[in-house]
Amino acid sequence: MRVGKLIRLARGNLVRELGALAVSAGGVALGTGCLVFFLALGTGLQDVVHDVFPVSTREVEVVVPQLAIGSLLGEQKIDEATVRRLRAVRGVAAVYPKMQLRIPAVSRYNGTFFGREMRVGLEVVATGLMPELVGPDARMPFDDRGESQPIPVVINRRLLELYNKVFAPQRNLPRLTDSMLIGFQLPVELGRSFMTSRTLPNPQDTSMLVVGFSERATLAGVSMPLAAIQRINRKYGADADTYSSVLVRAQNADEVTDLAAAVRKLGLEIDDTERRYAVQIGAAVELVTLALSLLAALITGLAAVNTMQAFYASVRERTREIGVLRAVGATRGDVAAVVLVEAAATGLAGGAVGVALARIAAALLDRLARTGLPDFPFKPTTFFSFQPGHVAVGLGVALLAALLGAFLPARAAARLDPAKALTES
Amino acid sequence: MSAIELRGVTKGYPPREPGLPAQELLRGVDLTVQRGEFVAVEGQSGSGKSTLLHLLGGLDREFDGTAHVLGCDLRAVTDAELAALRHTQIGFVFQSFNLLPSLSALENVLLPDFFGDGVPDAERRAREALERVGLADKERARPVALSGGERQRVAIARALLARPPLLLADEPTGNLDAKTGQGVIDLFRQLHREGMTLLIVTHEARVSHAANRVLVLREGVLQTEGAESMETE
Repeated sequence: MRVGKLIRLARGNLVRELGALAVSAGGVALGTGCLVFFLALGTGLQDVVHDVFPVSTREVEVVVPQLAIGSLLGEQKIDEATVRRLRAVRGVAAVYPKMQLRIPAVSRYNGTFFGREMRVGLEVVATGLMPELVGPDARMPFDDRGESQPIPVVINRRLLELYNKVFAPQRNLPRLTDSMLIGFQLPVELGRSFMTSRTLPNPQDTSMLVVGFSERATLAGVSMPLAAIQRINRKYGADADTYSSVLVRAQNADEVTDLAAAVRKLGLEIDDTERRYAVQIGAAVELVTLALSLLAALITGLAAVNTMQAFYASVRERTREIGVLRAVGATRGDVAAVVLVEAAATGLAGGAVGVALARIAAALLDRLARTGLPDFPFKPTTFFSFQPGHVAVGLGVALLAALLGAFLPARAAARLDPAKALTES
Repeated sequence: MSAIELRGVTKGYPPREPGLPAQELLRGVDLTVQRGEFVAVEGQSGSGKSTLLHLLGGLDREFDGTAHVLGCDLRAVTDAELAALRHTQIGFVFQSFNLLPSLSALENVLLPDFFGDGVPDAERRAREALERVGLADKERARPVALSGGERQRVAIARALLARPPLLLADEPTGNLDAKTGQGVIDLFRQLHREGMTLLIVTHEARVSHAANRVLVLREGVLQTEGAESMETE
């Protein structure tokens, strides 16, 4: 029996039993809709987690162990030799050492700040990054031009988000954007601290020039070119030879485990705080998504039972028709196929409606969140991420539920004794 | 070669209640129908006429004895082979028409084309069949929009689609008025003249008059009209 003819035959029955099958399709739509909704919500929340804790599967942050025999003896450090050893580790694609600013520095701002008078003083925390690591995130040159020039800095975008969503509203300060800040200069006094005891002799007035926003930049403070940090540390007699940490990039994600083991063999440690946060929160989101998806699967299962009842009733009502089909040459398989095609159409229709309902519900919820929720940091524009895979899963589950539900009725139809079926009143 | 050959065919049903005797609808039926014959089988309600017809059409294989239809041993072939036999070799006409209400007249006629390997040139043949039964202008009509006589003619057109050599009809005029019934009988006569083998079960004398041989089923025993029992060649 050819598919086109099968569909043509099933179509007539579907139209005739539209009412009963619409109820079945509605059940499938509800289950599928919930499933797709929760999957999209789970993916959307995972995206938010990735935004807040962006982790690369190819990179690890190497640090000196906080408690190690070597460190107690003063031997454990990350210097040029360590960096060379890390570069030589198998599977390493690149190594980017980082260094903290090891002297105090303050920034005092007293003047008009984007239309508002502002008087503020901050201790400056800075980390030195290699310009190659920042790459195109820096819109202006990110290299050390010497003492007489402003120090280029990149800022973590998450810091800007926290400023805009928490700091600025509380202090009635203007909200800032990338374009407003790039090229903006802030005064900085190197060697000075708000705690007098920490202030060094010969503090130097200079300025910081915002050149870009980068996820590579430190979350606590600003990031400067590594060479600038080394120059300043050296000038004030601070350690300018050992690094605070090293970002190691593997050639591919599969090699990260071996790479981490090699790093530990060198007596160093992997700082995976952010990764752990991301993994833990991601796992929690996955767990909740799984639980809600199981609930949706249960609803779909109930829809399958409803489909089964509907098709049993349909087969009972069409007993004589099934006898006629057998009389004109249909095999048992043909009869089962007709019922299953009807079920497939019911399931797919339910699935399509379910996917549409999920999208509508998500849009409504996003709208509600936009208008009803306060503007907290990292608040996403949407909590949902609908992927083609979700639609495929939704339609697949709907199809499967309908086919499973119709399986027994189809088998019963196929097993009908045609002679008895033809005498059915 | 004969079109139908039954030998000692007995068909029974288990007793309705324990202790009661088993029901026998056909008792040792012997029947030979030559190709091109027009045979009418008469009998009262419950005499086993429909059972005989279902058995000949391979719709019921639960019987004792041997049954060959168009050279096919009905008890030896597979379900799929029986389906193929019904599809290409046997046309069925039922008393209650048995049209599918969701399909148009044309689609109902085309029903055999939906199964097996289909029917060659099915659409053209279906239209020809409808034209032949006088319903060329009703091909889009649903059964509910047709009169009883028209429905039966659609059913006959459906039975003719695959141009089967054997037509089995179960009380084909039972639900029709006299005039419409006569039209159906005339159509059967015409098919017979064209060489088709017809076996029609009926309790109407006017149908029997059209046949060239009349048999009677009495309490499961097949007899020639007016005889005690029959065996005919």
